This record gives sequence, structure tokens and C-alpha cells, in this order.
Amino acid sequence: MLQTIRDRAQGWIAWAIVALISIPFALWGIQSYLGVGGEPIAAKVNGVEIPARDLDRRVQQAGIELRERLGAAYDPALFEAAQLRSEVLDDMIREILLLDVTRRLGLRVSDQEIQIQILSEPAFQRDGRFDRESYERLLQLQGLTPVMFEAQLRQQMTGTQLIRAVAASEFATREELAQYQRLAEQKRELAYARFPVADFKTDAPPDEAAITAYYEANPARFQTPEQVKLAYLVLDASALASKAEIPDEELRQSYDADQTRFSQPERRQVRHLLLTVPEDADDAAANQVLADITAIRERLVAGESFEELAKTQSKDPGSAAKGGDLGIIDKGVMVPAFEQAAFALPVGEISEPVRTRFGYHLIEVTEIVPAQIKPFDEVREQLRAELAKQRSDAQFYELAERLSTIIYESPDSLEPAAQALGLTIQQSDWISREGGEGILSQPKVTAAAFSDEVMTQGSNSDLIEPERDQLQAVVLRVIDHRAASVRPLAEVRDEIQAELSEQSARTAAVAAAESAAAKLRDGADWSVVLESIKPEEPGLVDRYAATVPAPVRDTAFRLPSPVDGGASIGTAVLENGDAVVVRLTKVQDGEIKPADSGQIAPEASMLSQLMGRQLYTEMLRDMEGRAKIERQSIRAEVDL
Amino acid sequence: MSYETDEEKVEAIKKWWKENGVSVMAGVLIGFGAIYGWRFWGEYRENVAAQASSTFEQVLNNATANQTDAVVQQADVLKDEFGSTPYATLGSLVAAKALYQSGKTAEAIAALQETIKQAPDPALASIAALRLARIQVAEGQLDEATATIAAHDKSTAFAGEFAAVRGDIAAARGDHAAARVAYEQAIEKGSGLSQLLRLKLDNLPSAG
Repeated sequence: MLQTIRDRAQGWIAWAIVALISIPFALWGIQSYLGVGGEPIAAKVNGVEIPARDLDRRVQQAGIELRERLGAAYDPALFEAAQLRSEVLDDMIREILLLDVTRRLGLRVSDQEIQIQILSEPAFQRDGRFDRESYERLLQLQGLTPVMFEAQLRQQMTGTQLIRAVAASEFATREELAQYQRLAEQKRELAYARFPVADFKTDAPPDEAAITAYYEANPARFQTPEQVKLAYLVLDASALASKAEIPDEELRQSYDADQTRFSQPERRQVRHLLLTVPEDADDAAANQVLADITAIRERLVAGESFEELAKTQSKDPGSAAKGGDLGIIDKGVMVPAFEQAAFALPVGEISEPVRTRFGYHLIEVTEIVPAQIKPFDEVREQLRAELAKQRSDAQFYELAERLSTIIYESPDSLEPAAQALGLTIQQSDWISREGGEGILSQPKVTAAAFSDEVMTQGSNSDLIEPERDQLQAVVLRVIDHRAASVRPLAEVRDEIQAELSEQSARTAAVAAAESAAAKLRDGADWSVVLESIKPEEPGLVDRYAATVPAPVRDTAFRLPSPVDGGASIGTAVLENGDAVVVRLTKVQDGEIKPADSGQIAPEASMLSQLMGRQLYTEMLRDMEGRAKIERQSIRAEVDL
Repeated sequence: MSYETDEEKVEAIKKWWKENGVSVMAGVLIGFGAIYGWRFWGEYRENVAAQASSTFEQVLNNATANQTDAVVQQADVLKDEFGSTPYATLGSLVAAKALYQSGKTAEAIAALQETIKQAPDPALASIAALRLARIQVAEGQLDEATATIAAHDKSTAFAGEFAAVRGDIAAARGDHAAARVAYEQAIEKGSGLSQLLRLKLDNLPSAG
């Protein structure tokens, strides 16, 4: 039979079958190379894909960062998830683009530069030196191997290299610098006359038609927002604490049980004399220092003053001037060898030379402060506060638990809860979504007050803890509600009338100023036109002169330069509504400071920095314009 | 073809090998050679780029320290020895600044023109052209500046910057109305020097 198969297998049919079978084998797994049917992508930049998964991760990170930065003010509803997502995606596209461009250009940061960067990163250092262990541990925490991290760093550094090349090569031309100095420091000689708005107020009877028209044209201004009145219970741990009474015996017990807390271990006043041994010193050098310090010790033992010798010989800059005195030291402060010696010596005896990493020390103990225990009376109040806090915290959790159960069981009233826990029901005034005072200003509280369950259905709110770290809890219900409404015309009539009369006075003041300005431009005399108004004449001022109101300065610095002996006239309106005529008589350009040779003027570096930064963003925008970018439609659902 | 016995097959194979063996071996050798050669070439290029990158870092450092001579010298090294890498262009971009600041305006202009010609990316050419036009305006070469702008103001991303220079040219020629239009355009489209532009705009004599 095998022979038959062998004979038949020679024909073209057999070959065709083999070929057919080989196709799936050859193409197996090819989709992972081609990216067909792989995971969903968020965007494609010049053929580089941004997986949707990566985008999700970054959006989540951004959400967490926002929350951390804004703290209690963070309200997920304020941040359009879709908007955040598209911003994050834009950032990622720009990153990929920069990477792609640097790769296409053929930029490459050398291994040496990467090494320098890693070695100089403070996070990888211990005692001011690169520490391999910290480096690897830190990377491990981020789930990276050194090879992965170095590749990441290389990408990052290559990107910044291009940025730096563009930004650092920017300059300000001599002409630009000169112009900036001339204009920024320019001074102008001006005078201005005020037409106070108060002078244009009339007693004309109110125009009812105008008032009605204004009321109808501006409904938004007279709107009152939706408001509620609340009844609420507050459970407060600090209020519980002040009520808690703790008998003295209990305090005593706690004091006895916790003796170590109130004891003060032995302390010693110490002075020392140090001769340093450099870190890289060899044995011979160290021995030399040892010999020197032994000689000093002999002089001390022979009776020379420790103070004098420490002043002249000690190499410890901190203590030498004080005669070697280190003050009163606790255990655990000094290096171990020093501490051991210092706490073993009797008072007044000079130690043998003690070797630490600083060098050789001679130590003398000048006083021993014996161990002490604080008497009960001294710590009684502290203990009382602590115990009261412990107890009230525990009580708070217990009461909060009960409160939460009771309001759940009787959702239609706060009474049962108030009675059971001995709390008083408080009532608020009208409050809007902006919040009320005290605890009612907390966003969580207002959110609950205006929730569907509480406001519309009229049940009790859940137990609200406005701030996580403060042991406070609130339960509330709405006792009155009024919808957003427009205040009636009768109520706001006076307000509108005041507004209208102010408006017409302002218009009249501006008109007066304009007509005065027109006359002045026609060559009328300043004193004739202004009649009784006395102009203010600050003289030659710069752009930032505080003595001149800002609108006057703005007008004066925009007026065309006057011809010789003439004046330019303009008008302005001050914040309080007064109209002003401004007269400009002279423009004096700022002084052009010749640059010291080899020095860059600070204005020039400022201008070139501004320019460089802008150019870099424009460069990215330009590249973005030329790149092939496909964004997938953005899914809004995202888990913040 | 069909063979009667296995011996005949072996014979046929041997014969085929005699005829084609050399070409097959040569083919395999060439194949491997190409693969390794390509790898070697890639590594070599990476090495060259890394060396150029190191030199360029020195250029940047020296530029920050205002060491004009060193900057120019190293930029020349980049041009001569690493002409195949983009660092040659980046080097002349930085050298142009150093040259201009030390008063060698003509050489700075030459360096920028070189950058424009060699730029590995159109954005870098636009940036260099912009700087060139600004120097030309500062030197009073208004026609040259106009020509530079006309040749390179193509990308919308840099439109604001070029409009600002156009405003400077118009102002220098005394055409205040055109300068006003150009400055306003520049501020609207966004320029790194919009603060200075606003001052210039406010200082233009009135349109009337």
C-alpha cells in the first residue's frame, strides 16, 4: 500500500495539496506584524500607532494629578472627560511626532551623555554620589530595567536636544534690542483734565419706559438661582471631646502604663577636640594624626586647658571656637563610636583617642544630666486631652454608625435621629448651589442638598462626611425649596433707575470730554476749553508710572507723537466713570544702552528667550501640519 | 523527467551541483555579506551620529558660555567631519548666533544661508530664514529681507513671525499703514515678540 501512495504522490495533485497546506503555516501569526485586527488604537502619527490602552492610562494619570492638585475643589463634572482625553491625546501626538522627527533626522544622543545624565540625577545618589543600588531599586519600583530606562532616557534627551538647538540659537538683533530699549523705557509728557461723572447726574424724573425696557432686555441680571432651606444634624468629634469627662484614676492608670513616654533618658554635656583624617588617607597618614592627638592628650592630662587647646588645635569648625563644647547631647545623635565613648566616660576625664569617620577625637564629659521622669501633675492635662480625643473618636464612629442606621430606617424625618443621639436639629437660611456658611459651604453638602433624592423626593440625605480627615458628619433634609426665578420689576425698579442714571451721566461725561478734545484739536486754548476744570500735570512719566491712572497712561502712550510745540489730544474713561481729556506734549525715547563688549544685555536675553520658546512650539505645529495624523473618534466614557 | 533508480537521482543531483554549486555558494555568501554589511553600516552610522552629538553638545555649552571662537571652531568640525549628520546644520544654526553676537554679521548671514540650504527639515529652514530676514532688516538690507521672506514664508505655523518682520520692513520704509496691518496680523497669528510688537504698534504715527 505504501508503494501505491508513493507512486500516486508524485503527481501534480500532490504538489497542489502540499502548497495549499503550506499557506496557513507560512502566514500563521502574521497579523501581529501587520497590526491587522490587533488592539484598538487611539491615533496614528506618521504610521506610529498610539494604542488606546496607553491613552487610557495617561488620561487616568492626568485625572489623578488634577485631583491631587485641586484637592477638595476637584469636581469630576467640571472636567469634561472627553476634553481631558483629547488634550492628553494631543500631548501624546506631539511627543510621538517629536520622537519621529528626531529619528527621521538621525539625531542620536551618545552613550556618554546618557551616562552623565544618570550619574548626575539626584534621585539616584546617596551621600552626593551615584549609588547603583538606589538606581536599580528606583527603576524596579517603576517596573523598568536599566536597559529600558536608558532607552527611554535616550528618546527624551534626543527630543530635548532638538528643542535646545532651536531655543539656544535664538538671538535678538541689535535693531530689535535698541527698539525695545527705546520703546519700553519711553517717557511721555502729559497732562489730563477730569470730567467727574458726578457733575453729569441729573434729577430728571425716571423714564418708566426705559426702566421696563432695561428690565426686559436683561432678565439674567435679575435672576435668583434655585435655593433650598435645610434642616440638618451635625455630629462633631471635637464637640464630643469637650464633653467627655475622664476621672483622675483613669489618667493615673494611663500614666503608670506608659512610663517610657514621660521619662527623659540620661543626657550629657560634652566637649571634644578633633583632628581630621582625610577619607583617602593611608595608614601612615592616619597614624601620624593619631600620634599628634596622643601628644595633645598628654598635654591635657598634664593640666593644660581643654578650652584653649580646642580653640587652637581642633579641626571641627563648629565647636572649636566654643572651646570644643557640643552642648547637651541625647543618645542617638552622634556617630556610634563617639556616642559609646561619650556615654561611658566619667565626668572630667579625657577619653583615649576615638576614631570616627571624621578623624580622631578627644572627648570630655563636663556634666551628666541624670534620667528623669516627668511627674504626673505636669502631664495630667496632656493625658486628659489625649484620652478625651481617643474616646471621642471612638464615640464618633459609633454614633456615626447609629446615625446612619436611624436615618436609613426613618428617611422622612430627622427627629428620631436627633432624639436618639441627643443632637439638635439646626436650620439654615436660603442657600443656593454656591453653598452657605460653615459646614454648609462644603461642596459635598451642597451636592447632597440639591440631589434628586433629597430635594425632589424629600428624603433624608445619606451620612455626609465633608472632609475626610475631620471627624465631622452631616445629615440633612430640605424643608423648603424655591425654583430659579426672576425678581419682579417692582422689587428691582430702584436698582435699574440708579443704573440708568449712572449710564446716562457717564455718556454725558464722555460726550463733554470728546467735545472738549475736538475743540482742543482745532487749536482752541487749553484754559479756555476747560474753563473751571483744573488739569493735572504729572509731566514726563514712563509706562508704569503709578501716579497716573492706568486708562490715562494707556491713552497717552498710544497717541501719535506731537509735532514740535504742538500737542496730541485723546480721551479716556476712568474706572469710576469719570471722563478724561489727555494732552500729550512730548515723547522722549528710552536711552539705548551700549552693550559692554562680550556681554549680552538682559533685555536681549529676555527677548531671545521669549522668541526661542515660541519658535519651538511653532516648529512642532509646523511638523504637525505636515505629518500624517489620524485620530480615531474619541470615546467619552472613561473611568476617572 | 523520471528516474529509474535512486542511483540515477544521486547522479543527477551531483551533476546539478557541479553546474550550479559555485553560483549557489556565491549567492549565499553575498546574502550573508549583505546582511552583516547592512548591520555594520547601521552601527557605523549610529557611532558617527553619537560622536557628532557629543561635539554638538560642546557647541551648545560653549554658546551658553559665550565662547564664540570655540563655537565656530566646533561648528566647523561638525561641518567637515560629520557633514552627513543633521548636526552639521544644527551646528551652523548655533554658530550663526555666536557670530552675530560677536559682531561678525556677514559671517552670521552666510552661516544662516548655509543652514537654509542644508536643512534636514523644512521647519529648520523656516527658522533659519526668519533669523536671516531679521538680521537683514537690522542691517538695513530691506530688499534682501523682502526676498528672504518671499522665498520662505510658507508654513502657517511661522506666519506670525514672518508678518512681524514684514511690519518692520514697512516701518523702515516709512509705510506706516502697511506696518500697522502687518503688526496686527503678527499679533493675531502669534509671535514670540508680541510684547515688543505691541509697543511698536502703539508707537506708529497715526494712520491719518
